[in-house]
Amino acid sequence: MTGLKLIDVSKVYGTGSSRFVALSQVNFEVEESQLVLVVGPSGSGKTTFLTIAGGLQTPSSGDVLINGQDITLLSQKEQTKMRLTTVGFVLQAYNLVPYLTVKEQFDLLEKVKTNNLSEKQFNSVLNILGIKELLFKYPDELSGGQKQRVAIARALFADPEYILADEPTASLDTGRTMQVMNLLKRLAHENQKTIIVVTHDLRLEKMADKVYQITDGKMKKV
Amino acid sequence: MFLAIKEIKHDKLRYGLIISLIFFVSYLVFVLTGLASGLSNLNKSALEPWHAERIILNKDAQGRLAQSFLPLRDLGKIGNRGAQIAQYSTIVKGKSGQKEENTQLLAVNKDEFIYKRLPLIAGDKFTAEKEALASAKFKTDGYKVGDYFTTANSKEQIKIVGFTKEASLNAAPVVYISFETLGKIDKDVTNGVVLNKKLDKNIKLSDSESYTLTQFINKLPGYSAQQLTFNFMIGFLFIIILIIISIFLYILTIQKLPNFGVMKAQGIPTRYLVLNTLTQTLIISVAGVGVAIVLSILTAVVLPTQVPISISLSSVCVAGTGIILMSLLGSLIPIQQIIRVDPVKMIGG
Repeated sequence: MTGLKLIDVSKVYGTGSSRFVALSQVNFEVEESQLVLVVGPSGSGKTTFLTIAGGLQTPSSGDVLINGQDITLLSQKEQTKMRLTTVGFVLQAYNLVPYLTVKEQFDLLEKVKTNNLSEKQFNSVLNILGIKELLFKYPDELSGGQKQRVAIARALFADPEYILADEPTASLDTGRTMQVMNLLKRLAHENQKTIIVVTHDLRLEKMADKVYQITDGKMKKV
Repeated sequence: MFLAIKEIKHDKLRYGLIISLIFFVSYLVFVLTGLASGLSNLNKSALEPWHAERIILNKDAQGRLAQSFLPLRDLGKIGNRGAQIAQYSTIVKGKSGQKEENTQLLAVNKDEFIYKRLPLIAGDKFTAEKEALASAKFKTDGYKVGDYFTTANSKEQIKIVGFTKEASLNAAPVVYISFETLGKIDKDVTNGVVLNKKLDKNIKLSDSESYTLTQFINKLPGYSAQQLTFNFMIGFLFIIILIIISIFLYILTIQKLPNFGVMKAQGIPTRYLVLNTLTQTLIISVAGVGVAIVLSILTAVVLPTQVPISISLSSVCVAGTGIILMSLLGSLIPIQQIIRVDPVKMIGG
């Protein structure tokens, strides 16, 4: 059983007067080889949704199923292993290790995980993202957009089944945004990757197989 | 290892400063250890070649050889289990213009074990009256085999017939002479008996007390206080290293927590991050300690002979290992931060 599923997932922070509901009874489903977009404004719970879907944090209630397995029942060590092998994150901030060159960002993953992208596939990703010439640069020598593209490449490099991307095109111009989205779409359809992109950019909706809208922690399929 | 080396190579200045800090503290530890060892040798190096078990002194002498007088009537009971010894503190004046030396004259018998165990580095051991076997210090200070010297309060001329390995007692170089020679300079007394074998329980010496060599050394004037002072300083430096390393690594780790959070989010195992931090600590402490070892050994070579410093590779290696272990211990607090870091908080979820 493949796919990622959230069933009645809620996330509540704090208690009493400081109680804050970040996600409320969220139901979400994505099947293999789909590119799903979750759109919503800032503070709507997009990142909370993504971190719960990827096993970075546990929900207050509800189930999170990846390939049929409830990941909320996994130990921390098992969740870490799952993130390394099954789920790839593209995060908004602090994406890259500052003391590693672009190439070394990938080398680090190779140190802890085998079965990454083949050299040919990796070169293709580098070309599409336009970062081949940046391989020996440090993150502080890159622009915001270049950092974001390297972060995308790094998530793809580990060849995960699921890619969870938090505003992956936030720092990119329109042309590069479309290129990145096309790459993600191709990965989903041709390489059987399941991709969830959370964004506030409504222009991306047309690229997705399925779109969910999230507002104040409540999610609905569009 | 990968992350550790890459980070050190990238942040050379930051890690260079930490290595310098470890170097300076280690260097201080090694020099203090060398001084403690040098001063300790200055107090007791004469005793080492004896390989003795115990020393018998007058019970009222508080463990001090020079203040002890053993009655002659008891000495026969010792037989070949020990060697008589007398200590006479004096000033040695060279007859060929050499500098005056504050000296411990030690009288020993030719047919007893101390005499037999004295290591020669030049000339011969004394065989007759008014002959002396001097510590190598006298050779360094310009005395030669065949030179004569006199002592304070005596006009007797004594000939140096040989030199023994560096030997000092109570912070003064030693000259070995016979009891007959000592009798010419001062009154002929036996201050103590050094034992190389255990005495039978039925042998009782009147008004005497037996000390192990360690007890005897610890009772040398000022010795314990001096060594305790050094040991305290060295001990505090070890604690300072522990605190410094902990603070530095803690600050560095706090600065890097967002990176650790992202790496954890990517599935990099915590164990890998912890091992890298330990490796990093090992690299910087080995580098700091290594440079300090080399420089402290060079310092010992360059310093004038008047400075009582004794730095051996084995002693600095032991102290260096201690410093490295302290550094690794110091990294445990920041490692806890790495274990506890929540990737969600670090990525702003």
